[in-house]
Amino acid sequence: MELEGKTGIVTGGSLGIGASIAIELARAGANIAINYRKHDTEAKEVAKKIENLGKKCLVIKADVTSYDDAESMFKQTIKKFDGLDILVCNAGITKDRVIWKMSEKDWDAVINVNLKGYFIYNKLASEHFKDQRSGKIVNIASINGIRGKFGQSNYSASKGGIISLTKALAKEVGKFNVNVNAVAPGMVMTEMAKNIPPEFLQKAVDETVLGRIATVEDVANVVVFLCTENARHITGEVIKVDGGQYI
Amino acid sequence: MEANTYNKWVKQVKIGIVGIGHGKFGNRSDATVQELAFEPFKQAIEDAKNLGREDIDSLVVGSVPEYHMQRSLPGVVAEYVGMNPKSVWLTEAACASGSAAIRTAYMSIKSGMHDIVAVIGVQKMRELSTEEILALMGRVGDVQWESIFGTTFPGYYALYANRHMHEFGTTKEQMALVAVKNHYYGSMNPYAFFQKEVTKERVIDSEDVASPVSVFDCCANADGAACVILTNEKLAKKFNDTPIWLEGMGSASAQMSLLRRPNLVEIPSAVEAAKQAYEQAKVKPSDIQVADVHDCFTIAEIMAYENLGFCEKGKGGRFIEEKQSYIGGKTPVNVDGGLKAKGHPVGATGVSMTTEIVKQLRGEAGKRQVNGAEIGLTHNVGGIGQYTFVQILRR
Amino acid sequence: MPFKYFGKTNFTPYTKVDKFADYLHKGKLMGTKCKKCGEIYFPPRADCLKCMDDSFEWIEFSGKGTLNSFTTIHAAPKGFDDIAPYTIGIVDLKEGGRLLAWIGDIPKDEIKNDMSVKVIPRIFEEIPEIKLYYTIEKP
Repeated sequence: MELEGKTGIVTGGSLGIGASIAIELARAGANIAINYRKHDTEAKEVAKKIENLGKKCLVIKADVTSYDDAESMFKQTIKKFDGLDILVCNAGITKDRVIWKMSEKDWDAVINVNLKGYFIYNKLASEHFKDQRSGKIVNIASINGIRGKFGQSNYSASKGGIISLTKALAKEVGKFNVNVNAVAPGMVMTEMAKNIPPEFLQKAVDETVLGRIATVEDVANVVVFLCTENARHITGEVIKVDGGQYI
Repeated sequence: MEANTYNKWVKQVKIGIVGIGHGKFGNRSDATVQELAFEPFKQAIEDAKNLGREDIDSLVVGSVPEYHMQRSLPGVVAEYVGMNPKSVWLTEAACASGSAAIRTAYMSIKSGMHDIVAVIGVQKMRELSTEEILALMGRVGDVQWESIFGTTFPGYYALYANRHMHEFGTTKEQMALVAVKNHYYGSMNPYAFFQKEVTKERVIDSEDVASPVSVFDCCANADGAACVILTNEKLAKKFNDTPIWLEGMGSASAQMSLLRRPNLVEIPSAVEAAKQAYEQAKVKPSDIQVADVHDCFTIAEIMAYENLGFCEKGKGGRFIEEKQSYIGGKTPVNVDGGLKAKGHPVGATGVSMTTEIVKQLRGEAGKRQVNGAEIGLTHNVGGIGQYTFVQILRR
Repeated sequence: MPFKYFGKTNFTPYTKVDKFADYLHKGKLMGTKCKKCGEIYFPPRADCLKCMDDSFEWIEFSGKGTLNSFTTIHAAPKGFDDIAPYTIGIVDLKEGGRLLAWIGDIPKDEIKNDMSVKVIPRIFEEIPEIKLYYTIEKP
């Protein structure tokens, strides 16, 4: 198991893509810490699944926009698992509006969770990783951060920002043997996605060249790969997992 | 001559100095390096009697080339002073180049290859900017493991001073007294860079260059030249009524890097070179009546007293405190101002020291005369002690 | 890791002991040991000073030692004026050999000759280039 003995933090690990990332990292051998803001039941279910794989999972209530919550989460995780090797930032929200209907609150909320939240966790992880001279950071972005999406000026801005943050940070921590990469999924079949009207889902399928949309495992597997030594020479990279939605 | 007799003759033949010259040390932006070299060369020829330039059959130049714009400077020096087509080349050993060049001349006469050799020690220090000179001086230690941390020449001696103070209780005050003495005598030496005296307080209060070495603990970069003319005892009396004999020629090396020396309180090459010189000249340290030592930094003079055996190890600070290195003390040292007052044109210093001791032993040192001096010593250290040359001269 | 990356300014990019930089980047302070006569060296050297044999192996140093001497440099050479004044020290290493480096986080009034110290491998953090060095710290 390639990640045996490693510890990872996955933000937004109680649902959807985050939950799958947490589980697949555990399947590869890592102990995991996940946070939840509201979904404590779902978070505990993820922990159970991880324990069934023979690994440990720490569940922490933390709001990703709070620096103090984040600091506490890092402290607890490092103490419980005697170290930290992986950070996956995945927590994200949408508040889709055309810009003339988008309030400041709509803008700020998305930027705070999606971009500022990633800054906070990337910063805390970098401090730890640089001192131990090793670490892997994977930031979940989106193809909508590379192209723009109608009604997602806030979301696209945040995801585009994540990509640039990833590249800049890769340059700062490379010398400390830390890899920082982004994964940019297209449409993914999550619980949330099941609520999208079928015609929009179909539109997404039509965009792909593979004729299907991603499962959460499709994204999680790439994240796991980036956390292994097979990906040791990849850094500052953005890997799309979009079935060819945006080529 | 039969081989045996020749070898015995070579071992016994004395080498003497019959002509000396010294230029003004200081800021000599008025002259090129070859123009600078001309001054003491002419003086030395005139100082000797019956000597014409054409009688000199070889020239050795002591200088550190890195400081000059002119490449291969013995070439221009030889041409300008008029030594072509005689044998000429450079001898270099950092700040001991002057003495190293004298050793080359000594060896060439001792071997019988040459009879009369002139040695010009010449240096311009100011053709490069202060910054470039500082960079150059920092590369004196081990550039692979030390210069990468920004070491400097004063920094190395500061590491010595710090340890010497720790092990023997040497103080900043004692170091300052060296500067006071040397500037006192320097004020009486018209060739010295600095002609003014300095107080102990001035030295101690000056800012740190590399703690505990402060500005006034350091000698100054200077331009300058000096010259000596050597010959064997067969010819010496022809050119001078009082040839001064080079009776002890010690030369030794030490590890370049302080990281590989046995300790940081003495210069091992100085101890070794002194031992060789005393042995060859068959004298003891207490026989030395006047000496010029390498006071690139005040702590260097304190260590020199100890390394040369003028006092016990660790008692160098006390030696200067008791004024034992003043005229009238046990062993007058640097009564021409030393590097401190004269300045330190690195290639010229060793030759300058030699001319001073020759003057003393001839009785020609005027106000700075050590009465009745018959045996003198020069101690010239290269860099941070990777080379030391100790010469013992006798009237 | 090229040896060129060792030091604030490097003057010797090519050396027989260039692996030193590799080890330093990984956080290890390595010296050499002569395979023939067993003599240990720090700084590392490829050719044995004692027996002149050229087969050597790398051995790890703990970084522990005692401070032999130190000085604070005010007049800095070219390339170091931006960090002046800085304090350099010489450490007698526990396993043998000596090392020269900057003194790191030891407060000025606590730096004393013969104190126990530890040498820590470091990487310059606030610049994009990779530059490796080490500092002298309290053990």
